[in-house]
Amino acid sequence: MKKLRVAGVGYLNAAPLTVPLADDPEVDLFLGAPAEVARRLSEDEADVALLPVAAAATIGGLERLDLGIATKNRVRSVVLVANEPLESVHTLALDASSRTSVVLAKLELLARRGSLPKLVSMSPADAIAAVGIADGGVGALVIGDPAIDLAERYPFAVDLGEAWRARTGLPFVFAAWAAKKGALDARAIEILEGAAMVGLAARDRYAEEYAAKQGLSADRCRSYLNEAITHHLGDDERAGLDRFFDDAAAARLLPRARLDLPRSAAPSLPSCADRGRDVDALVEDAAAGARLSADDALRIYRQADLFSLALAADAVRKRKSAPDVVTYIVDRNVNYTNVCTTSCRFCAFYRPLGHEEGYVLSREIFRQKLQEVVAAGGVQILLQGGLHPELRIEWYEDLFRWIKNEFHLGLHALSPEEILHVARLESLPVRTVLQRLHAAGLDSVPGGGAEILVDRVRRNIAKAKCTSDEWLGVMRTAHHLGLRSSATMMYGTVDSDSDRIAHLIKLRELQDETGGFTAFFCWDFQHEKGTRIAPGDHGTVLYLRTQAIARLVLDNFDHVGSSWVTQGPAVGQIALRFGADDWGSVMFEENVVSSAGTTFRMDAERIERQVKSAGFRVVRRDVRYRHLGPLSAPLPTGAS
Amino acid sequence: MTTFADIAAKVHAGIRLDEADGLALYEHPSLLELGALANEVREKRHGDRTFFNRNVRLEVTNVCVASCRFCSFAKLERGMPGVVVMTVDDARRALREKIAGIEPPTEVHVVNGLDPQLPFSYYEDLLRMLHDELPHAHRKCFTAVEIHWFSRHYSMPVRRVLERLADAGLQSLPGGGAEIFHPDVRKKICDDKATADEWLEVHRQAHALGLFTNATMLYGHVETYAHRVDHVLRLRALQDESIEQRRPARFQAFIPLAFHPAGNDMRELPGPTGVDDLRTLAVSRLLLDNVDHVKAYWVSSTPKVAQIGLSFGADDVDGTIVGETIYAAAGKQAPNVLAVDDLVRLIREAGRVPIERDTLYRVVREFPRAAPEGAFKVRERRQGKHLRVIALAARRDVDDPGGAPTGGVS
Repeated sequence: MKKLRVAGVGYLNAAPLTVPLADDPEVDLFLGAPAEVARRLSEDEADVALLPVAAAATIGGLERLDLGIATKNRVRSVVLVANEPLESVHTLALDASSRTSVVLAKLELLARRGSLPKLVSMSPADAIAAVGIADGGVGALVIGDPAIDLAERYPFAVDLGEAWRARTGLPFVFAAWAAKKGALDARAIEILEGAAMVGLAARDRYAEEYAAKQGLSADRCRSYLNEAITHHLGDDERAGLDRFFDDAAAARLLPRARLDLPRSAAPSLPSCADRGRDVDALVEDAAAGARLSADDALRIYRQADLFSLALAADAVRKRKSAPDVVTYIVDRNVNYTNVCTTSCRFCAFYRPLGHEEGYVLSREIFRQKLQEVVAAGGVQILLQGGLHPELRIEWYEDLFRWIKNEFHLGLHALSPEEILHVARLESLPVRTVLQRLHAAGLDSVPGGGAEILVDRVRRNIAKAKCTSDEWLGVMRTAHHLGLRSSATMMYGTVDSDSDRIAHLIKLRELQDETGGFTAFFCWDFQHEKGTRIAPGDHGTVLYLRTQAIARLVLDNFDHVGSSWVTQGPAVGQIALRFGADDWGSVMFEENVVSSAGTTFRMDAERIERQVKSAGFRVVRRDVRYRHLGPLSAPLPTGAS
Repeated sequence: MTTFADIAAKVHAGIRLDEADGLALYEHPSLLELGALANEVREKRHGDRTFFNRNVRLEVTNVCVASCRFCSFAKLERGMPGVVVMTVDDARRALREKIAGIEPPTEVHVVNGLDPQLPFSYYEDLLRMLHDELPHAHRKCFTAVEIHWFSRHYSMPVRRVLERLADAGLQSLPGGGAEIFHPDVRKKICDDKATADEWLEVHRQAHALGLFTNATMLYGHVETYAHRVDHVLRLRALQDESIEQRRPARFQAFIPLAFHPAGNDMRELPGPTGVDDLRTLAVSRLLLDNVDHVKAYWVSSTPKVAQIGLSFGADDVDGTIVGETIYAAAGKQAPNVLAVDDLVRLIREAGRVPIERDTLYRVVREFPRAAPEGAFKVRERRQGKHLRVIALAARRDVDDPGGAPTGGVS
């Protein structure tokens, strides 16, 4: 019989539910961080998961058992601490990995003060240290072992379980056994309930073992596991869970959600309001700004009427950026080298080291190209290249400094793959590489190479490329350092529609954490040129639907760009009515040298006509999407 | 002032739209609302059914006495570079070459320049040759401009021209040569060929003789939205007349043709944009309440835009179009030919059901509805769906500053 694949968070409070499963021959058990547990369930790598409820809301369409991790009152392991009243805290340091606790903390802060302080994510130890070091105004959200009894040491502290109880009169549910609909069959239920019976009876032993291993007080661990935490989710817990979902959805922190027992297992329960909600109602909610779960997004993506979807995307787009404006940037794509150590099958551009056609651009050629950019009114260069095995970090630093000294251009350079390559080559942490490049002039990191941020897909199409977590990790670090970046999605290889939604959700979660993404672009995989052009290899309607659903899911992105380079100007223009507010960049012909200015102006003129004809004002922008004035250079005469 | 909501209400009540409505639709700032309304009409008429055919193009002479400024095809006189004039035997060989190795087409589409040196019998011979070569392919030949010119050049009444050609095998007329009917525009772009009335008279006579016809409109050059509305309403009036008079034939399809600027006298013009392509399809669908089909002609708009057009009022994508040379001369971006598989996929990717038709819209083959793998599933249609969409859209009207396009194409 196929093993039941179970994923669970690896904390002490979960031990009574998960530890006995390790000995069950019918179970394939994984214990890890909440994000990985959620990913496994979402991407069908786990059948059932002990899942934080924020993740359950984000995935959507799940069912649960009446077993989980909850607290009736004081929880002790999730606390807000500060040296002054929380009302006057301007910055909150927090461990962003526990999204449920972060949402709970945000709700508490919103209830107390009506607004959120600046949130800065860091490890629990650093967060505690930050409260002590800073001059004042800094609080910390501390989760897990470091939080136990921490409250006693601060003049201002809030136990979030206790505060929730005080505010709502209800218990708080942190996690529950959850699965996609239909997966909680009799066998799964029997396995999980059986394990809980064994595990709940062994709470003292787990607490003592854990205390010994971590060097904590056994008494405290025992009382934590026996008293602070409850594992059975009854009617009160269900009410607490529903209240949490409702409050979080109202504050637009989570998708509207319910997490109920399977219907067959609980015939007496009233059917939940959300089950089988009309797709059009979902679209209208999204248009009004409601956060979408993966499950709801997928339903809309698959089933919504094209015009409903487009109108909703248009409504969101109008709220997120200037409603009547479409922006574009005058920049140039410069490939500094075509030498590359990876050999992706689909790539026709790169050459191995030593190949006679391999090149690294010289300063003279750089100078010429950049002078042309400046002459044409360009404000940025996009610098990308192969993974050259001999270009050291100093080469990039020198180049960046030189560019910044000689030219006033934004530097949108080195995709995550290239950053990781430099880090490996230099045996330096990604953070150090980014810090050094940032100091040398890097402004923002292009979002290329994201493809689909689902590793099953990535392994299939580009084995040598970085994993989803590595890609996201580079962006997280870049954002923490104050760099901005764009995000992309290339679909239409071996990805499914739910993979695309998973990709969007991952971007949204990182954006929640950092706010560092400027814009999102998507396109379908482009077959190599020279083959007969088929009528939309994946369908132009699918492109429009994909861009529109991205606009709805990415509710924390300011900008979505249309991909006219891949879809053609006509579709690029139409896409402005399917959620896009940016036209990307002017196509700067690489091979046109002497008449480069002319080429650009023609293209800028054409872009402006396309945008205006779609009913928008057209505005040039810089790399951070700040609006710029019109081009001052006169149009050339006889440009044809 | 007519509002969009007024017009939508008229459409829902089945009340015919007038000239002011047409203009208001062209100037309506929300492309999506316009598209949704046109889509509603299209789905009421055809559901998801979307038509295509297997057709072959033949152009036997590009010598032309007319001097249309938008044309990149005609070469005016014999002896000029690029002139192609085929004998009937040349045409037979060219036809055989075009269809070698492919499933026999169900339609042969022939349009030509106005070549003063060919005798009338040449065209009769040509039709007989087509019949010999492809007895089962419908012969849709000669635009109204050609028929009108035959009448002048060979000194025969239009009716006689049509009768003789029908005797030789002509079965229906393509819709070309209409351009923009309004004399102000015709004067600027095609001063020396059939006028609007002359073009319409040929179609009137054809309908009376039982020859079905199509109608086109060449847009995106020097005309205004008002000219486009006027054009479509003239077609609608003739269609009314043919229906009222119980003529044995009428217009089957309306085909907006996007002006392509390469290689002709009007190359300084930019040509229409994708949004304009969709807007034109949608307004045409809404105005032409008495013409069954509106075609998103993939050759002129590219397959990508044609696919989107199937949600903006169009229910037909034309056909495989083997051997097209006229748009090819004007710098089109579309490929030269699409296989049946390509067309079926193009239609399915739009969430529609492909139907292969013959020239008279009789079903040749039905293809099952099947969403391509990984694509969205076709939704279920419900009553009143678009009312909801319009309601959703209407709520935004107050805070929607997205300005109307600047009117017309100048």
